[in-house]
Amino acid sequence: MALLGPLFLLGLLGIGLPIWLHRLETQVTEREQFSTAMFLEPARKRIHVQRKLKYLLLMALRILFFLFLVLAFARPVLFSPPQALVTEDTTHHVIVLDTSFSMQAGDSFTTAVQRAQDIINGLGADEVASLYTASSGITTVATAAADGAILNQALSGLAPDNGKLDLGTMVTSMNTLIESSQANFVLHFISDFQQTGQAVRFADMIPDVINGRPVLLELERVQTDNLANWAVDSVLVSNRNAVEAGIRGFVSNDDSSARTITLSINNMLQQEQQVTLNGGGLSFINFDNVVFEEGDNRVDIRLIPNDALAGDDIRHTVFDNSPPAPVLLLTENPQSLGVTYISAALETAPRGYEVITQTLADLDARVLQRYPWIVIEDIGAINVSLATAITDYISGGGAVLAAVGESSLGLDSVPVMNLAVGSNPIRRENRNPITMIDNSHPALSETSGWGSVNMQTLPVSLNGGERVLIAQADNRPVLLESNIGRGRLMLLTTALDNTLSDLPVKPVFVSFMAEAARYLSNENLLVREQVAESFLQLSLAGGSSGQVYDPDGVSLLSLSDTTQAQDIPLNKTGYYQVFYSGGEVLVAVNPDQRESDLTIMDAQVLQNWQNVVAGTANTGEQALNSESGVADEDLEENEIWRIFLILLALIVIAESLLGNQHLRVRTGTL
Amino acid sequence: MSPASTETRNAQTRLLDPSVLASMSNLELVAKAVVEGFVNGLHRSPKFGFSQEFVEYREYSDGDDPRYIDWNVFSRTDRTYIKRFMGETNSHLMLLLDTSASMGFGSGSTSKLQYGKYLAASLAYLSSRQHDAIGVMLFDDDVVDYRPPASKVGSLQGVIHTLDKAEASMGTDINKPMNRFREHVKKRGLVAVISDFYCDAEELLENIRPLAMHGQDVIMFHLLDADELDPKIKQSTLYEDMETGQAIEVEPTYMAKAYREKIQNHIKNIEEAANGIRADHVLINTADPLDKALHNYLTFREKRG
Repeated sequence: MALLGPLFLLGLLGIGLPIWLHRLETQVTEREQFSTAMFLEPARKRIHVQRKLKYLLLMALRILFFLFLVLAFARPVLFSPPQALVTEDTTHHVIVLDTSFSMQAGDSFTTAVQRAQDIINGLGADEVASLYTASSGITTVATAAADGAILNQALSGLAPDNGKLDLGTMVTSMNTLIESSQANFVLHFISDFQQTGQAVRFADMIPDVINGRPVLLELERVQTDNLANWAVDSVLVSNRNAVEAGIRGFVSNDDSSARTITLSINNMLQQEQQVTLNGGGLSFINFDNVVFEEGDNRVDIRLIPNDALAGDDIRHTVFDNSPPAPVLLLTENPQSLGVTYISAALETAPRGYEVITQTLADLDARVLQRYPWIVIEDIGAINVSLATAITDYISGGGAVLAAVGESSLGLDSVPVMNLAVGSNPIRRENRNPITMIDNSHPALSETSGWGSVNMQTLPVSLNGGERVLIAQADNRPVLLESNIGRGRLMLLTTALDNTLSDLPVKPVFVSFMAEAARYLSNENLLVREQVAESFLQLSLAGGSSGQVYDPDGVSLLSLSDTTQAQDIPLNKTGYYQVFYSGGEVLVAVNPDQRESDLTIMDAQVLQNWQNVVAGTANTGEQALNSESGVADEDLEENEIWRIFLILLALIVIAESLLGNQHLRVRTGTL
Repeated sequence: MSPASTETRNAQTRLLDPSVLASMSNLELVAKAVVEGFVNGLHRSPKFGFSQEFVEYREYSDGDDPRYIDWNVFSRTDRTYIKRFMGETNSHLMLLLDTSASMGFGSGSTSKLQYGKYLAASLAYLSSRQHDAIGVMLFDDDVVDYRPPASKVGSLQGVIHTLDKAEASMGTDINKPMNRFREHVKKRGLVAVISDFYCDAEELLENIRPLAMHGQDVIMFHLLDADELDPKIKQSTLYEDMETGQAIEVEPTYMAKAYREKIQNHIKNIEEAANGIRADHVLINTADPLDKALHNYLTFREKRG
């Protein structure tokens, strides 16, 4: 309970009780009036002063009684410096155990644990050890302790996870964790020291000189040779009936391996192939005539038998076999180049869309309501009545992606949006690059390559309610979004037929159309395939609430958590089921592929690393000699309610004795 | 004595008890009850001047009470004569009542001041019956109120009214009031000083002596409460002087012995001072009935008459 907690403060009001009672008592004055003091002589002892002091002492005891009673219930905590386990003369062995995914290979982890035990069991006097694990992050397993039993017990519960270790990040984290200690540090890194774990900058792997204390680095390698490893690198579903599996070998070119590669759909074995994987590099295995169920499918590619690192011999993928979503494309000419570009981009999007082309002349505006969103090739081509119908459609919750075309060049204002068109004419020969992109927008966050796009745009003047997502120099809008009623309209101020813009022929066009389609159709934006130890952003599922089940079927959110968006750590490999307001989706989680490369760092690199740290340690020792830095210590929390309870008992005894005496005085029995 | 007369006697005596008088709010009524009860107890003894035996006539002069004009003589002679009886003294009685704060002390139902008021009122009533001119002066450290001696109709009520509004306050300084008193009193008469006399005996003597030399007959009613005479405390007590506010913690042993010696010495000194100027000193415990004081007064009058 905090000392400002309402219950504590309420309890403190009890102090007022003895004060009030004593106040009532003291209202009866002890003085007696006498006619004259002519014949009086003061007593030799100031008895009334003594009595008054006793009375005040009694009141103080009663106040303390209530105070200690309340404090005992409040369970206060005293912050005190930790016991001097670690002093300036202590050698502190910081044992950092690599628990990343690659440590699952062979007997790497068993060896690592054995090394750690050796260090712990070898602790001498004035030596302590602490234990950390390093993977995607650093975890404290046991703080500084001299008792080997405690450390060994903590060690026995460890196991490798699915994370990715970066040695630079690890050293930086360790600097933060141990910087407050006073001891002489010996950092023991026990790892397989994969090449892929090496920091980009070598300097990041050098521990800081901690408060002027020398730091020694001991690198404990659990593997001296590169282990051969094959891993399922990629799974690609094409044409809704074919699967291509990429198998990568992290071996020398002379190595080969005969394997059975299986394809399972929704945990049902569908096909298998016997292949011989030769040498390093990537091999592709194709499975045809694969049958998928409608909706999300669990696609597993497995290598049999397992190699040294079994965890990457299987790869999980989610394939959404939902029927293509219909989208209405309004155009003046169904044979136009723009229609071709738009249809191709949407039909090849991961979600898959069925583009229904409709000429404006033959359009019955009532059909608009059948589609969650529509595309207008040239917004200048729609007439007034259709503009009204489209406005009504958007106001009712529909979404529109519109572009401009030849018909828009003569406009005074843009239909539906009512944006005034400037007098500056579009000149085909003068295309300008893009200068601003709002990457925070869901339709643009996953796109890239806009820098290579050049275009001419329709000069429109904003009304103030529009959001500019892409612009050219002078803030000339390229892509606008406007909310109309319950719906929204995105306007490209250029054409999609490669006349005013080269956007349709640039790679970014396909991804842009796919993301815009997902955004405008209100699909969830969850990334369906993620790396282990990353986070699932539930807010991207299109709602603020939901439930998530891990690959073992355990629900990860409590009832109260389901009402708010969460970031869920993805610790396990397999399939996470996400239930949200719009339905259910699967998210496949696989280990970081860089962990599959078991190639270890060169011995010379490791030696250099140690040497550099040793040089730094000497500098630190000199610094220690010239400075007397005193580190701030972490404060330990000590509960002191027992002390208050003992004081309470003493107060009760003292109060009883003093109260008894006071009672005798008042009744005249003294 | 018959049982009935015994009961009447008891009732009359009871009226002299200060605790009974305290329940009577009208001071004149108190005085009347006290005096009538007291006088009845004396069986109208001529010794003390209460006999109704005719002595002589004398011619009416200004200031005489018209009630005592003998109208029979007037009808026969057309001259106004006053009837004089045995015991009439035609003297002056001046009542000096101490109203200092210490007079407010009282351990029982009656404070010393209240007792003093009863006593003064009774003396005034008694003197009024004897056709004496009566006056009153209230004092503490100065003259609080003063009413010159008179024997006119209503003078008794005036005196009693003055007494009635007396309240205890301030300290005691007998010097200044006595000087003022000497300036006002010209005629010879009786002076009854009612006080607890918490002052130096020498100082008192110096102030009373001029009165005696001036021919005044002085009687000093020394009022003390029972707790002042015989204090009984079981534990150390913090006493606060009612006049100065000084607080002194005293022990029971001191009050039981040393204090009593001191107060008795003081009483003795006051008495000796009174004797030195031929004044009467009457020590009165305010717990006692008023008859002792009245009896002493009458004895005093008798001696001086």
